[in-house]
Amino acid sequence: MPLQVSLLVDLSEKDRSRRHAVLCVFKVEYRVWNPFRSKIASAILGGIDNCHIVPGAKVLYLGAASGTTVSHVSDIVGPTGVVYAVEFSHRSGRDLVNLAKKRTNIVPIIEDARHPAKYRMLVSMVDVIFADVAQPDQSRIVALNAHSYLKVGGHFMISIKANCIDSTAEPAVVFAKEVKKLQEEKFRPAEQISLEPYERDHAVVVGSYRTVKKKA
Amino acid sequence: MLFLLHESASGLGLLEVIEADDVASGVEEAMLAQADFSRFTRMVRLKAFAPFSSAEHALENANAVSEGVITDYLREFVEANLPKPAGKPGSSKKTKTAADVDGAVELGVHDQKTAQALHDAVGASTGVAINADARSAELLRGVRCHFERLIDGLKAGDLAKAQLGLAHSYSRSKVKFNVNRSETGIL
Repeated sequence: MPLQVSLLVDLSEKDRSRRHAVLCVFKVEYRVWNPFRSKIASAILGGIDNCHIVPGAKVLYLGAASGTTVSHVSDIVGPTGVVYAVEFSHRSGRDLVNLAKKRTNIVPIIEDARHPAKYRMLVSMVDVIFADVAQPDQSRIVALNAHSYLKVGGHFMISIKANCIDSTAEPAVVFAKEVKKLQEEKFRPAEQISLEPYERDHAVVVGSYRTVKKKA
Repeated sequence: MLFLLHESASGLGLLEVIEADDVASGVEEAMLAQADFSRFTRMVRLKAFAPFSSAEHALENANAVSEGVITDYLREFVEANLPKPAGKPGSSKKTKTAADVDGAVELGVHDQKTAQALHDAVGASTGVAINADARSAELLRGVRCHFERLIDGLKAGDLAKAQLGLAHSYSRSKVKFNVNRSETGIL
C-alpha cells in the first residue's frame, strides 16, 4: 500500500538556497471516501468532535458489509492497528474476506454479531467498537460485544437508523430511547449527531465505556 | 478454588484465581485492577497452556468453540490440569461461596453453551462446577486483556498473527460452506 507521507525538511538556516531540501517523498495514494456510502465519513463531515478511530487503534467493527468503510478504517489505524470486521451475510462476507487478503490489518469474521462468544477465539480486547448493524436490538448487540471485548475506558460509535428500530415513532424519540438503553449498559454517550444530508433519519452516537472518574 | 478457561487463537489457557473479591460488582477500583497487568497477576495466574499444533488443529477447535462443542483436546486439557474436588461429586454449588468451601473446584468459561457441554463431558463425572456467570465473565475480560503476557511462549504480536490466520480459515470455511445458498450465480 502506498504510504501517505511526504517530508520537507529544513536542512540549514544559513543556506537559503537549500532551505527546503526534500529528504524523501513516498508515493501518495488518495482514495475517495464517499459520505453517502459511509456512516463514519458522514459523521466526520457532520462535525463529530472525536471518532476515536486513530492510528494504532484496535477496532471491532460490527456490520462490516462488503468492507467499503472497513477499508478506510484500515487506512486510518494503519499497520500497527487492527480491524476485527464482523459480518454475517455470506454474500458480502466473501468480498470482505477478499479485501482482508490485501489488507493484513483486517481480521475478517463471518459470524453473527448477536453471539459474540462464537468468535471469542478470534478477537482481542479492543479500543473502539463501531456498529452499523441496523437491527431493532442493536443496543443489546453492541452491549454484549462491549462486555466481552471493549476495554475499560474504551469508546463506542453507533449508527442508529430510526426506521430499523421503530418505523412508527418520531426519529428523535427513537434516538433518545436508544441513548437511554446505552446508558443502562455502562456506556456513557458523549455526543450525538444527525447524518443529514447524507442519510435520512440516521444518527451517530459516540461515547465511552466503563469510564473511570479521575480522582481529585 | 476457582479456575478460568480461555480459548485463544494460539491455544487453550487454564488460569487459577488466587484472589478476586468484588470483581463482578463493577466497582471502579476492581475495573482498574483488572486493567492493570501487575495488579491482575496478583489476582489470577496461569495454571496451564496447551498450544494448537497446526492451523488445521486451531480451526477444528475454533469451529467447535463457536458451536459450543467440546473437542477431545479441550476435554483432555481440562481433565489433566484441573485438580479433583475433595468433596463428593455434584455437591458444589454455583454460588460464590462454593469456591471458598475446602476442596470444591469451580471452572468459569466464556459462554453458557460451553458450560453445559463441558459439564456433561467433564463436570458431571468429576464434580467440578462449571459456570458462565457474571463473575467469571469479569475475570475473563482481564484474561483476554493480558493473555499474551500471561503466556511465556508468546511474544507481542504473536496472538494477532494467530487470530488473523485463524479468522481467514474460519471465515473462508463459513463462506464456502454455504455456497449452494442464494448467493450463487453472482459475477
